Amino acid sequence: MMDDSVHSPDDALQPRDASRSSNTVTVSLTLNGEPVTLEVEPNVVLLDALRERLDLTGTKKGCDHGQCGACTVLIDGHSANSCLTLAVMHEGCEITTVEGLARDGQLHPVQEAFLEHDAYQCGYCTAGQMMSTVSMLNDKRIGSDDASVKEAMSGNICRCGAYKNILSAVQSARAKA
Amino acid sequence: MRNFDYQRAGDVAEATALHGNDHSADFIAGGTNLIDMVKLDIMRPQRLVDVNRLPLTDLESLDDGRLKIGALVTNTDLAYHERVLADYPVLSEALLSGASTQLRNVATTAGNVMQRTRCPYFRNPARPCNKREPGSGCGALEGINRNHAVLGTSEHCIAVHPSDMCVGMQALGATITVEGPGGTRDIPFEEYHLLPGDTPEREHDLNDGELITHVTLDAPIDGARGHYLKLRDRMSYEFALASCAAVVAMDGDAIREARIALGGVGTKPWRSHEAEAALSGQPATEETFEKAAEAAMAGAVAHRDNAFKIPLAKQAIVRALATVTAQG
Amino acid sequence: MTESIIGHRTTRIDGELKLTGKADYAADHNLPGQVYGYPVPSTIARGRLVGLDLDAARQAPGVIEIVHRGNFPALQHSDNNPACGSEGRLFHSPNTMAEQNKVGEARLPFEDDGIHYEGQYIAMVIADTFEHARAAARLVTARYEEETAVPGLFQTDDEGEEAGDEAVSRGDPEGAFESAPVKFDHTYTIAMETHVAMELHASNATWDGDRLTIYESTQGVVFQRNAMAQIFGIPPEKVTVIAHYIGSGFGSKLFMWPHAVITAVAAKMVGRPVKTVLSRQQNFCSAGNRPASRQRIRMAADRDGKLLSIRHDSQNETSFVDAYTESVGSGTPRVYACDNVSVSQRRVQVNHGTPTSMRAPGEVSGSVALEIAMDEMAIELGMDPLELRRRNFAERDPSADLPWSGNHLRECWDDASRRFGWEKRNPQIGSMRDGHEIIGWGMADATWEAMRSHCKARVELRADGKVQVACGTQDIGTGTYTIVAQTASELTGVPLERIEVKLGDSTLPAGPLSGGSMATATTLPAVAGATRDAIEQLKQLAIADGAPFEGKEADALTFENGTLSDGSQTLSFAELLDKLQRGMAEGEASAAPGEEQDKFSFRSFGAHFVEVRWDPGISRLRVSRVVSTIDVGRAINPLTARNQVEGAIVMGMGMGMFEETEYDSAGNIYNNNYADYIVPVHADIPDIEVELLDNPDYNFNEFGVRGIGEIGITGMAAAISNAVYHATGKRIRDMPIKIADLIASR
Repeated sequence: MMDDSVHSPDDALQPRDASRSSNTVTVSLTLNGEPVTLEVEPNVVLLDALRERLDLTGTKKGCDHGQCGACTVLIDGHSANSCLTLAVMHEGCEITTVEGLARDGQLHPVQEAFLEHDAYQCGYCTAGQMMSTVSMLNDKRIGSDDASVKEAMSGNICRCGAYKNILSAVQSARAKA
Repeated sequence: MRNFDYQRAGDVAEATALHGNDHSADFIAGGTNLIDMVKLDIMRPQRLVDVNRLPLTDLESLDDGRLKIGALVTNTDLAYHERVLADYPVLSEALLSGASTQLRNVATTAGNVMQRTRCPYFRNPARPCNKREPGSGCGALEGINRNHAVLGTSEHCIAVHPSDMCVGMQALGATITVEGPGGTRDIPFEEYHLLPGDTPEREHDLNDGELITHVTLDAPIDGARGHYLKLRDRMSYEFALASCAAVVAMDGDAIREARIALGGVGTKPWRSHEAEAALSGQPATEETFEKAAEAAMAGAVAHRDNAFKIPLAKQAIVRALATVTAQG
Repeated sequence: MTESIIGHRTTRIDGELKLTGKADYAADHNLPGQVYGYPVPSTIARGRLVGLDLDAARQAPGVIEIVHRGNFPALQHSDNNPACGSEGRLFHSPNTMAEQNKVGEARLPFEDDGIHYEGQYIAMVIADTFEHARAAARLVTARYEEETAVPGLFQTDDEGEEAGDEAVSRGDPEGAFESAPVKFDHTYTIAMETHVAMELHASNATWDGDRLTIYESTQGVVFQRNAMAQIFGIPPEKVTVIAHYIGSGFGSKLFMWPHAVITAVAAKMVGRPVKTVLSRQQNFCSAGNRPASRQRIRMAADRDGKLLSIRHDSQNETSFVDAYTESVGSGTPRVYACDNVSVSQRRVQVNHGTPTSMRAPGEVSGSVALEIAMDEMAIELGMDPLELRRRNFAERDPSADLPWSGNHLRECWDDASRRFGWEKRNPQIGSMRDGHEIIGWGMADATWEAMRSHCKARVELRADGKVQVACGTQDIGTGTYTIVAQTASELTGVPLERIEVKLGDSTLPAGPLSGGSMATATTLPAVAGATRDAIEQLKQLAIADGAPFEGKEADALTFENGTLSDGSQTLSFAELLDKLQRGMAEGEASAAPGEEQDKFSFRSFGAHFVEVRWDPGISRLRVSRVVSTIDVGRAINPLTARNQVEGAIVMGMGMGMFEETEYDSAGNIYNNNYADYIVPVHADIPDIEVELLDNPDYNFNEFGVRGIGEIGITGMAAAISNAVYHATGKRIRDMPIKIADLIASR
């Protein structure tokens, strides 16, 4: 179902939900490199906009309160909990989700490292873990030793407990970067 | 999460004008605490004024040695700022011990100052809470209160202040600058957060429509060292059970000046002048530290589940002081 | 293929889907015309719902319907469940393992006006968007007649009801205890825990006439299909349950919960797909938990450490709406050689949502108490705790009088203690120090029964050169997709890249629950059988009249590396099928446990050695090192298998040090979220070194596997507690260990 309130060059990013009410706000942002315009009510959270309106369901909801990290995306290059920010706050922002990591069918080095090190089990926290990894590896203020990595990644809970393999994957990706 | 109207402000004047004196409006910056609470239905703004576009993202070293921090400087950027690392390490450590990388990347300086308690009775609209609904009672007094405050409590509220950053600032000394319908004014950091007393719903000295624009840290104490020690169940991503910000300047083997602030135990970011007095002019020994710790916690009041916080806070003080005075 | 792929470290075949965000979990399905359900939970723990004001919610933007007791389908009060349901009625929930229709909570939603726990559903708002449904749910107000709740096992004097089928007794435990020279009588408690699988429970239900399709986060598509069919009074073939990917469950998703029934009813009422994703807070209340348990252990030994008597009497919480028995003592009669043993279990009703299986249900709680007790006995005797266990090694299963199919516990002890450096342990309390920290070393045994169930599978050798394997089990993150593919690859010689695995769909041949560590041992034999049947079908096609191998005996043909050969002519199965103008050769098989069950006792064993560091100056306890050796038979995929054990160790750390679902004296849940319910994070993770012994158990199945999901958590919390005793001299018998328990020991 198309909604004429949204103008996106990419059919895949057309929202499904046609509902509108009086106080919708128009937001234009860059999502995984593509311009997207959304018209949403103010209380639509970025996470729900991605998942329920733009079919970008790779970003997961685990707690909806910034307490688990499953919803981590990059906002202007930095990791952030997409569950604790409103879609309307991101006019002009550049947002990257897990769907934006691989390029031209080639896995991102972080994705390759997670595959090789079995850095997951159920896979549900994995997008968040990887987005935090990408952000961390680009942030030279964060130390590269294991203790610094574990501290910096502690906002991403893995209930399966695949932490050891995630650490291996992170450090392996760092070495290849 | 109920719906609300949304407005985006471009500068401080526009922000305060948009807000007006409207009780039902709130400013939103990072949103990491506000959206959380709106989702919980414990804050129900009818209008949000987005202040993220305001030009309050800079840090400025003032001529008198103070550091002026824009309200929108993120917790991450503040923690890693070269002046903070060099002159206010206790603040950097406090910031980095709080929340998670993702939250710190978004949470702002002013937002952190405005952070509200994590008391589960406050955070559940079905439970009584004098802070959220004056007169409804305090669920924590007779309920589960392991995480609650032992300092600054009243018979109406024992909710603990959750911030780490504020504990660091409390130790360093700072001024909060606000702007609103009545103009601009400065508030000493120590006077900003209020004790619950009979009015736990009043958490700070901020009038309707006023917006924090800056937090200015006092000039660093000459020759002082700082350390923040946070104790909790797990090693990260958890609020403090007890924490201590210690800033100490030595004069030979004696303590010339000390600042002690505590987190996880107070109803506000807790500055302990009692501990500071016990340290001033004394030798930097374990015995001195323990006296300071006793002084800090002398007025503590425990409830059913949180008595352990009193010795734990003392331990945090003693170890933080030992660490900061041992630094070469 | 020259090298066996079974037992080979294999990256997950579904890895790329998980890593690119394309793996479809239940809530990832967005169906045309879909609307959203948002539940309204009870805010009291016990009483009656006497009024529900829906007016404000009905008028809220986007609201389509509100499902509640007043408009919910009436319950058909008949035990005769017809094959095809009468319109507009529901049938009592089924609840049996044998018929594969067990549910999480037998009470149907809105069945009566009773409130039995906080978070019980009192309504569900259906609206056009998630935001509208959630906002409107806040506008529903309820009136209750509140009653005094039973807040939990530790806040009631109720002794509970005996679960008779749990009782075990052999020898004369009481007499042996009385006359024994060394003995004690201690009580241990395990706090209520919550699974908090990362993925929230979710349902997305659609009706097409009388056919129901539901995407569900479930560990058992077949169970949910059968339960839904019973409740709606329709044949099972009209219900499709899909769970391609599950954000794990740890037991919380084994059996269907009421939200799925409400969602399916709502979808029927509004005539559109309804998607319901439970909030994290709701997950805590109405989707299962590990019930709190209180365990009394009376243990006696002679002065040489020979166990003379063990009595293990336990209570567990259950709800007022279902009877859940936690088999806490189930391992106790089996693990150690002891002639006089008794076990009993009682259920105590409390105002919580119904408990359910949580990783190593029952046995892990029992193992924590038993393994702490073993440490206490070693202290009583002045004996090394490992030596005490060695002296009580069970050469046979003492409860069944059967030989073990394979008990390699001694090798586990040897391997893990050597790698840990246990011989360097100074038994003196608090004697091992490093700076501010006191180092404590403790150990415990791990154990889990090996179980196997019935399974069907289908394999297609396809003309496009691919092999497709289908089975109605699930991959909850354990790696089932990959080991199924490895099995098919092993038997066909076709590389993994050309093997497709379909799981998580109730229309596939019926497979097992993903639980109890039984999915692998249950599924692989059926997959193997179906693969062989497909090869046999291919051979029959090959030798038929006019076919390339016409006139040959099927047995004379070989099938290797995906090619059929009679020694002179060689054709790949794709070439053959192409020549025959056939799309595929299809094989099916069933597999089930057999008479081996009467000949052997099947159980896995292992040992954990744990180092803790206790800083008495700041009351900081952390686990710094874990060395574990586990025997689970063969690991089909050592990469994913080791990950399972490492993850279970982490969860065991949570059990030992953090996890406790708390209810206050009013019966209201206190920590219903990921910030207040503490689980281990990255920064808590110690050095974890896991070795899996490779002792295939071919008595159990042709692959020699016994399953691996549960065993790693058993004993872990006890090993931590035992290490804490070694460091501090404090014997902590109540899990989790808290700072307040330790702070005085300086």
